[in-house]
Amino acid sequence: MVQAGSIGLPYIAVRGLLGSDLLKYRSDLKVESNPFHPEERVVLAQPIRPDVAVFHALKADCWGNAVTPGLRDDLMLARAARRVIVTAEELTDHELTPQDAFQNTFLPAIDVDGVVHTPFGAHPCCCGLLYPVDDVHVKEYLNAARGEESFKAYLDQYVYSVRNEKEYLKKVGVIAQA
Amino acid sequence: MTEIVSEYTPEELMAVVISREVRDFETIGVGAASPIPTAGCILAEQLHAPHATIMILGSKEYYPFLGGSSELHFMAQRGELDLFFLSGIQIDSKGNINLHVLGDYFSPQMRLPGAYGSAMLYYMAHRVILFRTEHTRRTFVEKVDFVTAPGVTPENVYREGGPTLVVTPKAVLAWDRTRKGWTLEAVHPGSTAEEVKENTGFPLEISSSFKITPPLTERELRTLRTAVREKLKGIYPDFTRAKIRPLSPG
Repeated sequence: MVQAGSIGLPYIAVRGLLGSDLLKYRSDLKVESNPFHPEERVVLAQPIRPDVAVFHALKADCWGNAVTPGLRDDLMLARAARRVIVTAEELTDHELTPQDAFQNTFLPAIDVDGVVHTPFGAHPCCCGLLYPVDDVHVKEYLNAARGEESFKAYLDQYVYSVRNEKEYLKKVGVIAQA
Repeated sequence: MTEIVSEYTPEELMAVVISREVRDFETIGVGAASPIPTAGCILAEQLHAPHATIMILGSKEYYPFLGGSSELHFMAQRGELDLFFLSGIQIDSKGNINLHVLGDYFSPQMRLPGAYGSAMLYYMAHRVILFRTEHTRRTFVEKVDFVTAPGVTPENVYREGGPTLVVTPKAVLAWDRTRKGWTLEAVHPGSTAEEVKENTGFPLEISSSFKITPPLTERELRTLRTAVREKLKGIYPDFTRAKIRPLSPG
């Protein structure tokens, strides 16, 4: 589990799950006796340590401090991951502190490896209150994802045929055609 | 005398039915994608449960934590959550819920987002109310295709709580702890016990306390469509617009 990964544990015991079919299919979950109460069965979960975690932030500074939208468990995931990349709507050379993250989530530079400036980088999803989900595009994506051929066509149109993020944003109408 | 109202959406009905199950002074959690329980809890707070501690994922006003959803999960894991709400694409006769797949696990007809914390919350919240916006045989099945979280566990499994009720647009099913099965607790105005049984894919006994759901009162519906609607808009704007009617003029 991500929590175990974030604090460097070899495994973590979790409540519940006994009797769930998840245990049949998930090799990272095991049932053991609680060593402190041997009559009790508990589920043990393997730590999750992603190679890379990517977060899209409202803003980030040049040292790697970042503010991501809403109250979320981003810090737990950032600490579990071996490399952390932050993409941000806005870059600043003014140092961000936890006070800049009121009602949002603060990622301190010590847990971040790289920052990339990507305005509208969450498209077609939303970024806090800056812009909403692009429902029309998401619907198009969902339809395209139903089949091999249509998905390939989607990738051709929006990924392979554009040279960079900016061209993509122009193509989907988020920024004006130059 | 209380004025009785008969014009409402199924979602409004379910929200009111849920609100009546919320008790004052309880500690209540509402998870993601749960607009009906959210409405029900805020309604209860407005009407009879002003001291309830209500925590709603996705809300700023109703989220007293510093962190994300893990805070609510850990609270449940500590055994401090009195009431939580879950759903399932299938719910079966043994109280099992399925949030994973329809059909075979490896070649499913439909793959769903999965359990998130359900397989812990179903054990650790003191009471769990299930909600489902359709009452059909494809939802209420004899045996779920995949047990995300079981209704019943052996005695040596630590479990704070479990299923208590299922609320649907037609009825309320109650969990019978001794018999380990669902009973028909109430049918909503406009439905009948026969109709509910017909649309349930397993045999359903009638509860000894069976009743027709008391009609929605003018006060309940007015509060839902004013104070609750206003708060709900900030959390579930699309749902609120589509399912909770604004108070009609006059």
